Amino acid sequence: MTDAQQFEAFVRDYQNMVFSTAMRLLANQSDAEDVTQETFLRAYERFGELQGSATLGGWLKTVATNLSLNHLTRYRSRWSFFSEMMRHGEEDEEHEVEFAAADNTDDALTQSERRELVEQALQKLSPKERVPLVLYHFEGLRYEEIAEKLGVSLGKVKTDIFRAREVLRRKLRLKLAEEPR
Amino acid sequence: MNPEYEKQLEAAIDRELKGLGELSAPATLTSRIMRTLEQRAALPWYRRAWQTWPVAGQVASLTALLVVFGGVCFGVVGLLQAASTTAPAHQIGGWLTGVGAVLKTPAVLAEVAVLAVRQLGMPLLVGCIAGMILAYVACIGLGTVWLRLAVARR
Repeated sequence: MTDAQQFEAFVRDYQNMVFSTAMRLLANQSDAEDVTQETFLRAYERFGELQGSATLGGWLKTVATNLSLNHLTRYRSRWSFFSEMMRHGEEDEEHEVEFAAADNTDDALTQSERRELVEQALQKLSPKERVPLVLYHFEGLRYEEIAEKLGVSLGKVKTDIFRAREVLRRKLRLKLAEEPR
Repeated sequence: MNPEYEKQLEAAIDRELKGLGELSAPATLTSRIMRTLEQRAALPWYRRAWQTWPVAGQVASLTALLVVFGGVCFGVVGLLQAASTTAPAHQIGGWLTGVGAVLKTPAVLAEVAVLAVRQLGMPLLVGCIAGMILAYVACIGLGTVWLRLAVARR
């Protein structure tokens, strides 16, 4: 197997993981593809060191996460105003369509439909809610680490994650034993 | 907030999100990455990232940069020394004239604004400013729409 073939096999093995990390943070397919590509281009420069390393998956995830966060930081301030306006409009419309039919979503949907629904709900969150939530639940970071990574206060991280969970709970119609007070 | 509720909420959301598994990357992504790598490999060495240059190229470029930087530093110091020994008073006077002209600019602009208000009237000026703001906002809005359309098409 040539070096190029080895690297291609390596990309095929890890592309879903890297793409998922980027897609869930960015909620935009073309941006996620760009970040995935950049992650693998960086991996190519260090392919010799990375091959066979036990921390390879972690390295890829960290690079994909950092590139995604850099991307968000770079473009957020410029476009957030209009993006948020459009996003809220879309959210309101789709909320009616998606959830009006079924009272108990678990019973009405198959598992793959359910997953699709959760993915959609996640992508519809605003970046300030989605990013800390993804870092907490998917990347396994602690609140303090998220606050440090995003350069915001610990209180803000906790509040944003709580709000994001609340939005998801409402959208997914999750029933809990305790009720919010 | 109810801590018990928060715990339950965290656990429920964690269950939902962990149950998602990995997303499938687009089928064309691998070929796109490999194509980009091939294109990069086809570039001559001097058009690639500096870190990937041959060691001799890195040493030569670094040396050239240091020489240029040193030359600029020596040149500036030399010029300053020459200026101070030949005609210091004249030189400083010239600089001060330039500084004075810069300091006068705000006063001149203020006078122009006052004259414009007198000649054109306040409503017209407010209209012009509002028009400029509107045009600026329209540019941002159109730019945003264009960007979103361009991104959506990719």
